[in-house]
Amino acid sequence: MDYEIKDCIDAGTEYCPCNLAETGDCILCSQLQGKEFCDCTNWKGVCIYQEYAWNGEKPNAQRKISLSKIIKKENLDKDLITFTILAKHKLVQELSVPGSFIFVRNPSTNAYFDAPISIMDTDVVENTLTIAVELKGIKTKKLDELNENDDLLVRGPYWNGVLGIKNVNSSKNGTSLILTRGIGMAPMIPVMKKLYASGNKIIVAIDKSDFKDIFIKDYLSMCNAALIECNSMVNGELSTEIKEIINKYSEVSNIVFCSGPDIFIRNILDVISDDVNVACCNNAKMCCGEGVCGTCSTRYKGHVVKKLCKMQIDPRYIFKGRRLI
Amino acid sequence: MKVIIIGAGWAGCAAAITAKKAGAEVEIFEKTDMILGLGNVGGIMRNNGRFTASEEIIALGAGDLINITDENSRHKNIDFPGHKHAWLYDVNKIEAAVLNYIKNMNIKVHLTSRVIDIKKSNHRIEGIYLSDGTYIEGNVFIETTGSTGPMGNCLRYGNGCSMCILRCPSFGPRVSISSRAGVDDLQGEREDGGLGAFSGSCKLAKESLSNEIVENLDKNGVVILKVPPEDINLDKLKLKVCQQYALREFAENVILLDTGHAKLMTTFYPLEKLRKIPGLENVKYIDPYSGGKGNSIRYLSVAPRTDDMRVKGIDNLFCAGEKGGLFVGHTEAIVTGSLAGHNAVRSALAIPPLILPRNTAIGDIIEYANFMMISQEGRRKRYTFAGAEYFKRMQELGLYTIDVNEIKRKIEKLNLTNILSEKLL
Repeated sequence: MDYEIKDCIDAGTEYCPCNLAETGDCILCSQLQGKEFCDCTNWKGVCIYQEYAWNGEKPNAQRKISLSKIIKKENLDKDLITFTILAKHKLVQELSVPGSFIFVRNPSTNAYFDAPISIMDTDVVENTLTIAVELKGIKTKKLDELNENDDLLVRGPYWNGVLGIKNVNSSKNGTSLILTRGIGMAPMIPVMKKLYASGNKIIVAIDKSDFKDIFIKDYLSMCNAALIECNSMVNGELSTEIKEIINKYSEVSNIVFCSGPDIFIRNILDVISDDVNVACCNNAKMCCGEGVCGTCSTRYKGHVVKKLCKMQIDPRYIFKGRRLI
Repeated sequence: MKVIIIGAGWAGCAAAITAKKAGAEVEIFEKTDMILGLGNVGGIMRNNGRFTASEEIIALGAGDLINITDENSRHKNIDFPGHKHAWLYDVNKIEAAVLNYIKNMNIKVHLTSRVIDIKKSNHRIEGIYLSDGTYIEGNVFIETTGSTGPMGNCLRYGNGCSMCILRCPSFGPRVSISSRAGVDDLQGEREDGGLGAFSGSCKLAKESLSNEIVENLDKNGVVILKVPPEDINLDKLKLKVCQQYALREFAENVILLDTGHAKLMTTFYPLEKLRKIPGLENVKYIDPYSGGKGNSIRYLSVAPRTDDMRVKGIDNLFCAGEKGGLFVGHTEAIVTGSLAGHNAVRSALAIPPLILPRNTAIGDIIEYANFMMISQEGRRKRYTFAGAEYFKRMQELGLYTIDVNEIKRKIEKLNLTNILSEKLL
């Protein structure tokens, strides 16, 4: 289908209406976009305008920050660490859906050090969150300065880590194909767990990229996933290996989930047939997660700007009509 | 040749029937899980000029729905203040009866299918999109989505969502297809310059009325109760403009009609005040669920159209019912829908459209309501065969009659007998 359905991940949640409603910049609601009538093509189950009125024409309280103790830190590879942190039960619960992520920073740094990191695992009994961080630059290196028993500054919950989440939720009792490269192994885990819980047979192709090992083998066996190790890209193009995997499995899968860099996702979308349901990790750069700072704003043909920290779209529309300048 | 109808209310069903009779393949898309929309909470037929219009549409060959409402009437030929020879149908029986009928005609009805957008090229619609992205192509389209709500509009122009039969929170809000096609919709206005108008009635649960009132209703079809004098005064002093407007029409009486539920002929009435009336001490609303606080807001997305019911600016989009003008009532929806359905097929076959002459009540209201939309004064009025200015006009022009044979003869003389049931392909 060639109709782009745009959703806002936060619509109808306790954080809706958000600050965007106040200035007439709501992603979905025409009445909160400065128009005078409803034009509700993007109904998400709740009348946001009504919620705004009930709230005294003010946004709902937005996400808070909390200091969370690091109870475990592991150095898995030269530039790869994981943190397990203690958090409030409600936060852990809210972050237990695929696509969940948080902003984290070293408490000695200020707000623009916030790094959006996907949740890799949660434990609602022990009330812990586990994240994996690939060290790249200043934000992540400052995170590496923290050790066990130190506090991590956490802001959340955020949920737009997976684009095409509708497809993840609707894939049941079939075969699901997951294609992963590098640090994409981490955000893939909640998606894999959900697909497994929905009765799907999981096939995972992993390109461990520059990492020494595949560090998620425990999760793979938890989900009875069939693992295929491969090299996914050569000179920026898909390798023959992965193309064969796609040819073999994508048509019989109820979903193809891609977790890796944009170029990886883009190349896969190009070879996959249009009937296949796709979901992918959201690689947009983010800083506030609230649609305010503009970091995630991506420009498209026709003067369209999509705030990818909040806007849920089918992965095919990440690149369609995208403008470079 | 496929005719796609968006909205399965009275107008949509009427359009489906004539389009089918003309020989087209017909599919209706309805956002809720029932057809008839506001028809599920209406019930008043054949009162005043509607009698004439009903007999005209029967003579024109599209009387199917009038026959069904006749057959399902709880009361026939009753009078109530301002209205004569009204027939009241049973709102609890009508939907199933109509659904059966149109299904038997092989009209395909898609329920819980909300249309949110269209694909257009030049001035033609190629297809419609449902809320899940499904795309359906058609040759000609008829929009009968009404002009009521949705929730945000009821909030901005009324007292907020009153939880009416349209059930926006459950099935999603209606989307104006003409607006999506780039046409500037028109709005009805209020006396104070505001936009839109409150829907005119509510329903009370008969089980919550006194036995005496229920017996009276069942026997006579209408019960008139006095509004406590202190409420009339208090209202005038205390209430804000919109509520005063709402109670003004029947300010001194509460009028109930029996349509299966007790139809309360006022836009809304605060429950506490209603329960002060003898016999109504335990009353509760059955529609809208929050009829004590408000009602749905109408007339916010009327499409500009020509007298063949085609939407201006789009070659293959027609409209009917409230979508086609500031009409009030099922009969008005049925007659405009019947014409739209027929003309939609004509247009797809490149046959000139049928415009009903002004010496028929139907032809005259279609033309008159359209003409009046141009002026601010006209946008503040409502157009119904049943009363107010238009009924007066009918009487002045000699259009109003309850002589069935006279109406048949008139249609015969105009060479229009059964024209709407003619097979065109």
